[in-house]
Amino acid sequence: MIAETPFTIAIPDSELELLQRKLQLTRFPDELEDVGWEYGVPLADVRRLVDYWKDGYDWQKAEAALNAELPQFTRNIEVDGQGTLSVHYVHKKSDVPGAIPLIFVHGWPGNFIEVRKILPMLTVPPKDTQAFHVVALSLPGYGFSEAPHRKGFGPIQMAEVGHKLMLALGYTQYVTQGGDWGSIITQIIAAMYGPKHVKAWHTNTVIPPHPIWNLGRYLRYMVTPLSQAERDGMERSLEFQKTGQGYFIEQATKPQTIGYSLTDSPAGLLAWIYEKLFTLTDSYPWTDDEILTWISIYWFSRAGPTSAGRLYYENRVSTKDLSRYSVRVHTGFSYFPQEVIRPPKTWSRYLGKIVQEVEHEKGGHFAAWEVPELLVDDLRKMFGKGGPAYGLVQVKA
Amino acid sequence: MTAETPFTIAISDSELELLQRKLELTGLPDELEDAGWDYGVPLADVRRLVDHWKGSYDWRKAEAELNAELPQFTRDIEVDEHGTLNVHYVHKKSDASGAIPLLFVHGCKCRALEEICNKLTLVTGPGSFIEVRKILPMLTAPPEDTQAFHVVAVGLPGYGFSEAPHKKGFGPIQMAEVGHKLMLALGYDQYVAQGGDWGSIITRIIAAKYGPTHVKAWHTNMIIPGPPHPIRDPLRFLRFMVTPLSNAERRGMARGLEFRKIGMGYLMEQATKPQTIGYSLADSPVGLLSWIYEKLVAWTDNYPWTDDEVLTWVSIYWFSRAGPTSAGRLYYENRVSTKELEKYNVRVHTGFSYFPQELFRAPKALTRNLGKVVQDTEHEKGGHFAAWEVPELLVGDLRKMFGKGGPAHGVVQAKM
Repeated sequence: MIAETPFTIAIPDSELELLQRKLQLTRFPDELEDVGWEYGVPLADVRRLVDYWKDGYDWQKAEAALNAELPQFTRNIEVDGQGTLSVHYVHKKSDVPGAIPLIFVHGWPGNFIEVRKILPMLTVPPKDTQAFHVVALSLPGYGFSEAPHRKGFGPIQMAEVGHKLMLALGYTQYVTQGGDWGSIITQIIAAMYGPKHVKAWHTNTVIPPHPIWNLGRYLRYMVTPLSQAERDGMERSLEFQKTGQGYFIEQATKPQTIGYSLTDSPAGLLAWIYEKLFTLTDSYPWTDDEILTWISIYWFSRAGPTSAGRLYYENRVSTKDLSRYSVRVHTGFSYFPQEVIRPPKTWSRYLGKIVQEVEHEKGGHFAAWEVPELLVDDLRKMFGKGGPAYGLVQVKA
Repeated sequence: MTAETPFTIAISDSELELLQRKLELTGLPDELEDAGWDYGVPLADVRRLVDHWKGSYDWRKAEAELNAELPQFTRDIEVDEHGTLNVHYVHKKSDASGAIPLLFVHGCKCRALEEICNKLTLVTGPGSFIEVRKILPMLTAPPEDTQAFHVVAVGLPGYGFSEAPHKKGFGPIQMAEVGHKLMLALGYDQYVAQGGDWGSIITRIIAAKYGPTHVKAWHTNMIIPGPPHPIRDPLRFLRFMVTPLSNAERRGMARGLEFRKIGMGYLMEQATKPQTIGYSLADSPVGLLSWIYEKLVAWTDNYPWTDDEVLTWVSIYWFSRAGPTSAGRLYYENRVSTKELEKYNVRVHTGFSYFPQELFRAPKALTRNLGKVVQDTEHEKGGHFAAWEVPELLVGDLRKMFGKGGPAHGVVQAKM
């Protein structure tokens, strides 16, 4: 039995008080007439959320619920060239025989809370359905993990943390699932540590490079007609590139500069994140409590909200060529219609050894939150009896 | 003489108090070891500036000095389809004979012009009417036998103490309309226009649209070329392809590429989601400070900013009539109205001043056709905020261009 250090979220009163005082002093901007969402988050939404955060929202109730539902721990992980960092993670073993270990990796503006809905489904499935032991870490610099102190902590280092965590927990063979940054990070984990340790990779954010660098692939792309879903997806991808990337470019070039705003202004942080929670989901009916809990995790995070954005910078300067990280293990893709990036299938065929590809009618960028049953279903189909990746992991007795 | 409504900057005590209380609650982030300026503004700089802003910085003193040095007014200007906006401006007439009226347009942030040769961005700094401060006395009260000017520095709607637009679509063309109508309202039937940063594109539109009837000449220190289309404009394209670049041009273009690579985040955000970033800028003094200060340092030629200078500059944004959010919308409006702007060709006398630390540098082969270029000056010193960093150089260029013997002398029928 591996020794683990339990963790309970317990934000001190002084932090709650500071947030309250800041919220009370919030100064709002004006807004143009009839803008809707065109210029960014509408003023009415921000006002409503700030007012609720200040007056009705109950963090301590949310905190207690998180602690009750998500068994959390911390562990020191040593990273090459970066020293030792304390990593926060959720860990739940399944009692079901044949359960396989799975690491779930979030992105930005995601966090460990994204495992909340899928956790019970994966660990306590219906009878005769594939079960999983689930590990969901907070990436260094996010949630309650320590933030990196040195330059150069990019996706490759994140992958190292995830892998070392799994090994430390006794999972010498495991599978990976990730979206957003989690997709890139789990791709690297699968490429670097598979097939020896990592037996399969599943993702819901498929990010292949443009096929122009490979003549065969490019030709195949040029001659293969696009499905309606692919066409819609590409339009969506282009729109994102045209009007949705500001945050990305700022964080990839000056994360410290925007960081001063995000650390100092609750309303600023709220707008920055909520814009994505709203625009990248498929009409998901966010409640104000959901939004504020999600954002409060950023506000109350161990290192503050600034460290999270640095991942964009580190990726830009250090991730030379993702296509070097080709995955040779069983790979599964889930395509959700409102995902922000949607390449044609001909671009991504070579990303891994694709054994499962599922097209959905519903869901967006935060699949595990919006449509947990669809994502879990894809995992059960892929890894369950009769599935294309069944039996890859030598299940320990 | 048309009646003017004087204006005095008088920020309320409650505003000062709110700023103070916010500064006291400032939460600062961590920083990576040895980050320097790589990731954005260094923590030590921000800490120092926040401490000064909170502690010994004296806004009332800065306010009094601005009021003493800059004669300010407001005037209602009607803009097609946007109703009437109350515009703040600086206005100083010269006593010297032969003085000509000059409209000075400050910068702000600008949007990206998608051109054939990379995405040359019109960048304007986080400027304001304060940029006229140093050049004002030089232009209005020059040495004997030197060209003088009557100066009007317009506060663009949404900046400083001008009212902000209320409707969508208030872009550079509307800004140009405001500048022009203000000059006419002040009785300046003929005038010349000078601008850098956003002011460059705005004065270009002013010169194209209202010249030569009213606008007799255009001068700018931020030269944004139109692309030579290989099919539509083959000769210019070929000339560009074969003309060797000077050292200054090469360095400037490299600087432009660097800007494109790592300096455009603020622009992309403001050009697509100005409201979203606007919540941070309106609510967080330290957030606003960092956002602006990053550019005050990056875009100048080792200008020795004092903390007081920086804080006064940023305070004008913080205390602005509409708040700091409205300023960023110009980037958005610019982006959505790009197509129209290409139509504005300047046919009046044009002067360019090239400063080495300007954000980017277009080769002369591409800028020759921007207007009727009569003066082209290359400088060894100065950056994006020329009127602030090297006022004597900028003023020198204007005096040379418009003074006796200069290529644009006598373009304006000087009124008695």
